[in-house]
Amino acid sequence: MNAATPFQFPLLSLMLWLPVLGAVLCLVCYKKPDLPRWVALITTALVFLLSLVAISAEPAASGWRLLEDCSWIPSLGIRYSLGMDGISLLLVILTTFLQLVAIVISWRQDKFPVLFFPLLLILETGIIGVFIALDLVLFYLFWELMLIPMFFLIGVWGHEKRIQAAVKFFFFTLTGSLCLLIAVISLYLLHGQQTGDYSFALDALKQTDLTATQELIFYLCFMAAFAVKVPIFPFHSWLPDAHAEAPVAGTVDLAGLLLKTGVYGMIRFAFPLFPHAAEKSLPVLAVLGIIGLFYAAWIANLQRDIKRIVAYSSISHLGLVLIGLAAWNQIAWEGSMLLMINHGITTAAVFIAIALFHRRTGTRDIEKLGGLWQSQPNLSAFFLLFCMASLGLPGLANFAGEILILIGTFTSHSAWAILAVGGVLFSALYTLRMVQGTIWGPSCEPFERQDLLASEWLVLIPLAILVVVLGCYPQPLLEVLRDPVSLLLQGGHP
Amino acid sequence: MTSAALIALIPQLILALGATAVLLIGAWLPMKRGWHYVGALLALVAALLSATVQPAALDVAGLYTSAPYARFCSVLWSLTVAATLFGSGRYSDQRRFGGSEYTSLLLFAAAGMNLLSMAISLVGLFLALEAFTLVLYILIAFNRNCNRGAEAGLKYLVFGGIATAFLSFGIALIYTASGSFMIAEAFNALRAGHDLTPLGLAGWAMLLVAIGFKISLVPFHLWTPDVYQGAPAPVSGVLATAAKGAVLTAFLPLLTLLGDSGETVRQIVWLLALVTMLGGTLTALVQTNLKRMLGYSSVVQMGYLLLALLVGGVSGGKALLFYLVVYTVATFGAFAVITSLAQETRELQDYEELAGLGYRYPKRAIALAACLFSLAGIPPLAGFFAKFILFRTAFAHQYTGLAVVGIFASLVSVYYYLRPVVTLFMRQDEKRIDCSGSVSEYLLLGGCCVVLLLCGIFPEPLLALVAAVFP
Repeated sequence: MNAATPFQFPLLSLMLWLPVLGAVLCLVCYKKPDLPRWVALITTALVFLLSLVAISAEPAASGWRLLEDCSWIPSLGIRYSLGMDGISLLLVILTTFLQLVAIVISWRQDKFPVLFFPLLLILETGIIGVFIALDLVLFYLFWELMLIPMFFLIGVWGHEKRIQAAVKFFFFTLTGSLCLLIAVISLYLLHGQQTGDYSFALDALKQTDLTATQELIFYLCFMAAFAVKVPIFPFHSWLPDAHAEAPVAGTVDLAGLLLKTGVYGMIRFAFPLFPHAAEKSLPVLAVLGIIGLFYAAWIANLQRDIKRIVAYSSISHLGLVLIGLAAWNQIAWEGSMLLMINHGITTAAVFIAIALFHRRTGTRDIEKLGGLWQSQPNLSAFFLLFCMASLGLPGLANFAGEILILIGTFTSHSAWAILAVGGVLFSALYTLRMVQGTIWGPSCEPFERQDLLASEWLVLIPLAILVVVLGCYPQPLLEVLRDPVSLLLQGGHP
Repeated sequence: MTSAALIALIPQLILALGATAVLLIGAWLPMKRGWHYVGALLALVAALLSATVQPAALDVAGLYTSAPYARFCSVLWSLTVAATLFGSGRYSDQRRFGGSEYTSLLLFAAAGMNLLSMAISLVGLFLALEAFTLVLYILIAFNRNCNRGAEAGLKYLVFGGIATAFLSFGIALIYTASGSFMIAEAFNALRAGHDLTPLGLAGWAMLLVAIGFKISLVPFHLWTPDVYQGAPAPVSGVLATAAKGAVLTAFLPLLTLLGDSGETVRQIVWLLALVTMLGGTLTALVQTNLKRMLGYSSVVQMGYLLLALLVGGVSGGKALLFYLVVYTVATFGAFAVITSLAQETRELQDYEELAGLGYRYPKRAIALAACLFSLAGIPPLAGFFAKFILFRTAFAHQYTGLAVVGIFASLVSVYYYLRPVVTLFMRQDEKRIDCSGSVSEYLLLGGCCVVLLLCGIFPEPLLALVAAVFP
C-alpha cells in the first residue's frame, strides 16, 4: 500500500470492471436480442477465469494477496483502493462462479434480455467491489451499486408480487445503508479533526480515537446496514419476499452472494473499526443468531411455497454463521467463512432445482407438487443431493462448516453450541418435508415431462461436484482462510 | 459605462441583443425550429464567452460583477437555456409556438438569470429578477390552447407580484438601515452592531419571504406544483432549474456577508430548511402526477440547498454549486423526458399513462430513471456525491440535526422517485400510447445521462472547477 510498490498487473480492477464493459456491450447491441446472452456469458466466463488466476497470487507479509491503490477524489480524501486477502479471494471466486451459473440458467430469459443481462453484469461488479474495496466510500458505492440492479431484477422479471417485494427490498437495504453513510461521514470528520488527515481509508480510520459512546453509536450504524443484508433476526422480513419473487438468477445472487456481503462487511469493517463495541455486542449477536436459527427454521416449516422454505432456511443458516462469529475464535470463524461459501453454493443449487421444477409444473406450492421423481428422475436426484447438503449431511458441503462452527463455539461458549445443534436438527425437519412433498408422495402432473436439458445438465453437474468435493475435502479452503481469519481476530491487518 | 464594463457584459449583451434580433427578424423570416437552433447557438456562444474570457474590469456600472463565481453561474444558466431550446423543437412545433417569439423570450430569460447571479447591488438584483420573471409569466402561459397553462401563468403572476412587493420593500428597509444599495457595503453596515438592527432584520425578513416565493420554500411553495403542471414541459424545466438556481446563487453571498451578526436570520433559514424538507417530502409522497411530483421534489431539493446556504462561505458555496449543477442536470433531464414523451395535444403526466412505457421507449425511460435516481442520490449517479458533499459540509459545520433530517428526507424521497420508475418498467403496457421522439431530444437526454454518470464516477474535475470559482 505504499508508493514503492512496483507496477503490477491490475488484476483486481480488470475483474471488477470487465462486467461493466460487458454490460455496455450488451446495451450497444440492443437490436439483436440474442447477442446480450453471449456477451454476458463470455464476460462472466472471463471474469471467472480471472478470479481463478488470482489464486496464484501469494499472500504478502501484510496478509494481502493483491493490492491496488491510487488517487481518485483527492479533494475529499477518497482513494481507489482495492485489496484481496484469502477471505475476499474465496468470496470473489464464489461470486464469479455463481454469476456464471446465473447467466447460464437464465439463458431462456425472453423478456427484455437487452436489459436483463447488463443488470446481472452490473450486479456482479457491485458484489465483487464490496468484497475487495478498502476505502469506505468506495465500499459504500459498491454496496449501493448492488441495490439498483437487484431492484430491477426483482421488480421487472420477478413473479406475481414482484413490485411489492422489490420496493420492500430496496427500502430495507437503503435504510440500513444510510445509517452506514452517516457513520462513515462522522467517523471521517472525527478522524480528520484529530489528525488533520481527511481520509476514508480503512487503515487510517482504524486509528481514530473514539469514546465508548461514539464507538457504540458508529458500530450500531454500521451494523444496521450489515444486519439488514445478512439478515439478522428482526431485520429479515424483506428476505422471503425478495427471494420468492425474484427470477432464478436474482435468487441465486441474493441467496448465494448478497447475504454474504453483510457478514463480510461485519468482519472487514464493523469489527476491526470498533473492536471494543464489537466485543461487547458478541453475546447479543449470538442470541440473535440463535433466535434466527430457530425462528426461521420454524417459519420455514410452515411455508407452502418451496422457494420461501429455502429462503427461510437461508436466514436460519446465516444465524449459525453469526453464532460462529460471536464465538470469536479461529475454528468458529473458519467454520463461518466455510459455511458462507458452502451455503452460497448449496442454496443457489437448491434454488436452481426449484426453478427448474417450477418451469415444468408451473407451481411452487408444496401441496400441489409431488411425485416428481417419476417424471423427472434426474432433476429430482440433483434436488435431493442439494437438499441433503443443505441440511448438513456429513460428506456434503454444509456439514464441514457447521461442524467447525459447533466445535469452535463449544470450546468457548458451550451453551450456545448446544442450542445451535438443536437448530441444525430443526433444519432437517423442514428440508425433509420439502423433499418429501416435492419428489415423492402423490404424483402431480407436470405440463412438461422433459427431464433435464443439456444446458441444465451443464449447470447442475458442476454444482453437484462442488457440493461433494467441498464436503469431503474442504482443507484447501481452510488453508486459504487460516491466516486472514487469525489476522482479523487479532484486530490487525487485514 | 466604460468600454471595459461593456466587455465584461458581452455574454449578457449577446443574449439580450440576440433575443431582440431574433424577435425582429423573426417577424420577416418565419422559421420554426430554425430559430430554436439559432437561439441555442447564441446561448452557447454566450456561455462559451463567459467561460473563457476573463474580463479586465470586474465591475459593471456598480450593479453587476463578472467575478469567477458570477461567470460560472452565467455559463450554467446559458447552457440550460441553450439545452432547452435545442430540445424543445418538436414540442413547440406541435403546439404551434411561434419559433422566434419562444426563442427570444427564453434568451431574455437567460440574460435576466445571468444578471441575477452577477448582481452586486440590490438594485441590480431587483432588476435582473424582474427581467426574467416577467418573461416567465409569458412563457408559462405560452400554449394558448391549454387552460391549465393560462391558470398556471396567472398563478405565477399573482405569487410573483407578491414576491416582488416583498422584495422591493425589503430592499427599501435594508437601504434605510444601511444607507447603501451596494450589497457588500449595505451588509457591512448592517453587521456593524452585535446583532441586526430591528430595521435591518425587518428588511431581511422581507427578503427571505421574497426568496421563499421564488425558490418555493415551504410555506411559500403552494404555486409550485400547479405552475409546473400547467406550464409547457420545457418551460417547467427552466423554472425548476435555472430560475431557482439563479435566485439561490444571488442569495448565497448575502448570507455569507452577514457573518456572525446574522444569527437571527440563520435561525429563520434553519427553520425554513427544516419545514421545507419535511413539508415537501410529505406532500411529494402522495403525488401521482410526474410534473407535480417533480415540483414537490424541487421544493425538497431547495431545502437541502438551504443547508449549504446556512454553512455559507467557501465550503458552503462549493457544496452549493456542485449540488446545483447536478440538480440542474437531473431535473432538466426529467423535464426533457416529459417534453420528449409529449403527444400532439397533451403531455403524459399521470403515472397511469406512463405504465409500461419502459418496454416501448426504453431509452427515454432509462434516461428518466437515471435522472430520478440521481435526484434521489443513489450511486453511481452524480446525485450521490452531491448529497455526500452537502451533508458532509453540514456535519462539519455543526448542522448535524438538519443534516440528519436531510438524510432521512432523502431516504423517504426514494419512494416518490421510485414510483414513476416502477410504473415505467414494472407495469403492463396497456394503453399503447404512441410518442415518438426526435434526434435532438435523444442527444440531449444522452448528454444529461453522460454528465450524471461521469460526475458520479469522477467528481474531481467538477469539484476542482467549483473550487476554482471561489478565490
